[in-house]
Amino acid sequence: MDDSTTRFTTGEDETANQQERLLPIANVGRIMKQILPQNAKISKEAKETMQECASEFISFVTGEASEKCKKERRKTVNGDDVCWAMGTLGFDDYAPPLKRYLDRYREVEDDRLATPQRNEEEGQPSSSAAEFSSIPKPF
Amino acid sequence: MRQAGAYSGILSGGGISGRTGPHLLPLARIKKIMKKSSVDVKMISGEAPLVFSKACELFIEELTKRSWNMTIQGKRRTVHKEDVASAVVTTDVFDFLIDLVHPNASDHPSLNEEYMDKKQ
Repeated sequence: MDDSTTRFTTGEDETANQQERLLPIANVGRIMKQILPQNAKISKEAKETMQECASEFISFVTGEASEKCKKERRKTVNGDDVCWAMGTLGFDDYAPPLKRYLDRYREVEDDRLATPQRNEEEGQPSSSAAEFSSIPKPF
Repeated sequence: MRQAGAYSGILSGGGISGRTGPHLLPLARIKKIMKKSSVDVKMISGEAPLVFSKACELFIEELTKRSWNMTIQGKRRTVHKEDVASAVVTTDVFDFLIDLVHPNASDHPSLNEEYMDKKQ
């Protein structure tokens, strides 16, 4: 009895849908590998479980963040909402490095957007500049 | 003169080297997962998936480390699904994952037994 063809077709559809709601297994596996000792091995099932857990994590935190936005009558879930939600749900340890990450991203974005081609006016010292440039400014 | 690499430097400067690119996880996929989480989610700022890309990294790292502790306790070198499940069960902050890793355990242990009987 060969029902492999049938299974293959429906399985393919299911797989495609499933992959959409999961982070790529290669990326997940890489993060896992980087944190473990070199002699450690990771079973495929463990990576798959980790994929599921990561998606659940995103959903869990997003749900909380979006509740907050709803209460405050805001339509857009932003980075601060996500950070706040994480703190509220017990991921306090993540909140400070994330906040720093987000602040730095915003500083660079502001720089990028605000100063397209003007170098002369960068006279004022700013914390982002101090943090990121090791080369003293020309003026 | 703009400092080259400032942007990618920031994004990869969280402990993970930049050789895999600025983000370890695809932002578009993260955004999709966020959208599916609730009907209330309407709009998502550009930063939110970015924050999650870092947060997921931290999350995966923590769960992996704890899973590895279970692996070591079992005197093994390969992390199995059961190790991840044990790590979830023994960590309060991962309570939201219990049903995901142990779908049968919490609610109906008797049903589980029934299933095992039928298998035989």
